[in-house]
Parts: sequence; structure tokens; C-alpha cells
Amino acid sequence: MKKSIVIMVLCCFGLYYFLPFLGTVLYASSTSWGKTILPDDFTLTWFSQLLSDQNFLEAVGRSLFLAGVVLLTILGLMIPAIIWIYLFAPRLNRLMEKLVLLPYAIPGIILVTALLQTYSKMELPMFLVLIGALFITTLPIVFLGITNQIRLINMRELIDAATTLGASKKTILFRVLFPNIRIGTTLVSLMVFSAVFGEYMLTNLLIGGRFETVRIYMLKRMNENGHLASAVVVMYFLLMTVIALLTFVITNRQKKKLWLKGQHSIKQCSISVKEGVTVENVLGNS
Amino acid sequence: MKKHLIMLPFGIIFLAFSVIPLLLMILDSFQSDVTNEWTIANYTTILNNPYYNKAFINSFLIATVSSLLGLTGAFILCLCLLNLSKRTQEKITFVSNLAANFAGVPLAFSFIILLGNVGVLKMLFPLLEGFNLYSWLGLAVTYVYFQIPLGLLFIYPSIKEVKKEWIDSVALLGGSKGYAWRKVAFPFLRPSIMSTFVILFANGMGTYETAYALTGSNINLLTIRIGSLVSGDVFAKPNLGSALALLFGLILILAMILTQWVGRKVRG
Repeated sequence: MKKSIVIMVLCCFGLYYFLPFLGTVLYASSTSWGKTILPDDFTLTWFSQLLSDQNFLEAVGRSLFLAGVVLLTILGLMIPAIIWIYLFAPRLNRLMEKLVLLPYAIPGIILVTALLQTYSKMELPMFLVLIGALFITTLPIVFLGITNQIRLINMRELIDAATTLGASKKTILFRVLFPNIRIGTTLVSLMVFSAVFGEYMLTNLLIGGRFETVRIYMLKRMNENGHLASAVVVMYFLLMTVIALLTFVITNRQKKKLWLKGQHSIKQCSISVKEGVTVENVLGNS
Repeated sequence: MKKHLIMLPFGIIFLAFSVIPLLLMILDSFQSDVTNEWTIANYTTILNNPYYNKAFINSFLIATVSSLLGLTGAFILCLCLLNLSKRTQEKITFVSNLAANFAGVPLAFSFIILLGNVGVLKMLFPLLEGFNLYSWLGLAVTYVYFQIPLGLLFIYPSIKEVKKEWIDSVALLGGSKGYAWRKVAFPFLRPSIMSTFVILFANGMGTYETAYALTGSNINLLTIRIGSLVSGDVFAKPNLGSALALLFGLILILAMILTQWVGRKVRG
């Protein structure tokens, strides 16, 4: 294909992807936008109003809290389990790989229906159900991310080497295993965090207005004051950009490091991590 | 034996929050919302009620149109990416992933600003006057925004496998470039195109947040219907919602089997 055509097509895509975002930014920084290309004025009122809005800060707090709880639960429970499977029950690995993909196969709305049917009549607090649901939906990314990392560092050889050198189990765990899966865990954490922080459907249908997270707040504002709502969207998107950039930088740094170790494993890791982010974002948020 | 305990929490959570609820949901779908008796009334209601039939049709249309557009977009984008340096490719896939973050409420909102009833683009281009963002076509166009990044992800790795030599060999034998793509590259890519289509289709059918943010409960879509049936609105009929959810799941499974079958038939 000719270079000029390629660039033209890419510009079209760029326009399609950039325009909605640009529109939101302009809308967030103006008080009125009539029949002109650009808004009539420029102001940061909405942002300052937003930052002094108690409801907004509380919504951010709730989303942070939710993301924190889910992260701690899933990392705390899954990392030991994944290491154990890798070391002592490799045959389970195949089964797990299929099991954890289940959440991708079931649309969120079906999961919500099932959970509401089962737990709405019971005494179990819905917040716990929400944590459980988020645990299930973020499971694939955690499992695949951590498993890949373990494979990358050749964990079995590391442990053998440490044992030969006479390290105790505790030393192996805390000085060898955990430091080595740190990068993978950071990446996975960033992804889980952005997925949970921007979660809407599960929270809204399971708990509803009683637990107003960022996206629920966003939608509520959207029906009241468009300018304020776009300010929320812009700030949310900035945060997501920072997280995505972090993920990008960490992945690249790891790639460079591993370049020295051999090329096969690199391919496997980078693809799965990138796939994970997008799949998580689209399936989780659409 | 004690070491197996490490898997216990995972097992319990997995069963308690996915397997068991799903099974209970299937059972519930065969119970009446009013009398709690065993019945298939929920299913006959859905099949005979034009309102629910319409929801199926709408969801199907939106999913099909948005995944066809998304697939085409992803394909074209891939072809462009192949001509670029590795660095630029990486940057573009990064942006595409970032755009996926926009899905849901933010996306709906920004499209309302641009193309809603008093949208900026509508003011600027009178040509767009007739475009209704809140119709099924409008929704489908909005969905394309997140269907392309998803499609790109699944189709790009296989398009990279199409070797330049294949196209060159066809040229050497006197075939045109278009002919080479049609007869050599496309048959090679067909399986991955098909499976990507199924993924996009399932995603389009399952979209809730974007549709809900755009239209509230006004548009008659499968996911929106299920949501309002189960989530304690005034008209909550959870068992009917379960039946609807089950049928929805069956459609997705059917779509998967169908594409695999077609794929095999074409190849054989």
C-alpha cells in the first residue's frame, strides 16, 4: 500500500477516536457551546466545583476502597494458589486455564442475574456478593498474568538453585519468589485496579444507588449538568491514561530486561498482558 | 493433604459466585414469578410476547452491524499497521487500548455531545440531521468505537502471519494483488476472522452500560430488559429475567457452534 493512503486512513481513525474525547474536554471547559466549532468561552469552574463537591470525593473514595478490597482479596488468595499449582500440581494448570476463562464467556448481565437470584433473598450483604462478582470477573487477568510471570522467571529452577544453596523455605518464599514475581504482580494490580475503579454494571445492579461509585456518579451528573459530567469524564480518563502509561513503561522495561535472557518467553508475555488489558476494558465496561 | 487447603478459598469463591448461582438461575427460570410453581410459562411468555421478540431482534441487529463494522475497521487498521515501523505500531496499539477504556458511560456521554439531539457535529454538518443517536443504528455506530480495539487484538496476530512472499509469488505467476489477497491470504485468515466475529458479536449482544447510559431503559434491548426485570424495579420479575438470560446465553453458544461448523465446512 502507498504511504500516503496509509496515513490518510490512519488520520480518519485518529479523528474518529480523538473527536469524542476532544468534544468532552471542550465541553468540560466551557459554560456555553452554541452553533460554533469551538465553545464560546474557556473556564475551569467545573473542575474546581467538582473538586469541592463532597459527593464526588466520596464516590472516588468508594471506588478506591472497592478496588483496594478486590485487589487485596484476589492477590492474597490467588498468588499462593497459582504458585502451588505450578510447583505441585502442574496437571491442574490446564483445567485452571479453562476454568478462569469462564467469566469471559459469560456476559456480565447473566452473571448479575444469577447472583441476584441467588443472594438477594439471603442475609449475605450485597457488598460481599459484589466483591465475589468482581473476583470472578478479574480472575482471568490475574491468573494469566501471574502464571506468565512465573513461567518467565523459571521458578522451578530458581527454587532448586536456592534449595541446593541451603536456603530455608521462608528465605525462598520471601527473598526469591516474591521479589521475582513483583513486576508481574504490579502489572496485574494496575489492570485489576483500572477495571474495578471504572466498574459500573455489577455495582449498579447488585447494590444500586446505595453505593455510589465514580461511574454511577458520572451517570447521575450526566442527567443533571453536562459540563460537570464532562469534567468527571476528563479526570477519570486522565487517571486511566496514567495507569495505561505505567503499564506500558513497566512492560517495556521488563521486555528489555528479558531480551538478555532469550526471546521465546518474551513473546508469550507481552501478547498476553496487552490482550488482557484491552479484553478486560472492553468486556468489563461496554 | 494439608497443602490442598491453599486452593480451598479459590474453589469456594468460584463455586459460590459463578457455578452455583448460574445453576440456580437455570432452575429459577422454570418457576413462576407469581406462584412459585414449576412451569415453562416464562419461556412461552418470552416467545409469544412481541415486546421480548423485538428485544431479541434489536440486540441481534445491533450486535451484527456493530461487529461487521468493527471487524472491517479492525481489518483496515491492521493493513495500515503492517506498513509502519514497529515502534509506531506499538504506539497505535497503546492508543487503541486506551480508547477501550472509554467504553461505557464516558463513551455514551461524549457521543451525546457530538451527535445527540443538539450535538456539535449535527450543528456543523446539516447532512447528519437525520441521524438518530438513540436508535439502534446510532447505538451500533457508538459500539464500533470499542469493537475496533477488541477486533484489532484478535485479528492482528494472524494478519501478521500473512507472509509477503505469498503475495509476491502470486504476482510472479501473473496474479494481481487483489487476487492474491482474495485467493491466498483470505482463506488463510478465515478461521481467525470468524472467531473474532463471534467474540465481537457476543460483546455487542452483551453490552449494557453504553446502551443504558445512552437511552436509559427506553431502548428495547435484551440486556436492558434483563436488567430491569431482575434489579428490583417496579416491574421486577426475576424468574422471567432468568429465562431471558438463559435464552441469551443459548444464543451465544449457538452462534459459537454455528461459526465453527461453517468454518469447518468451508475448509473441508
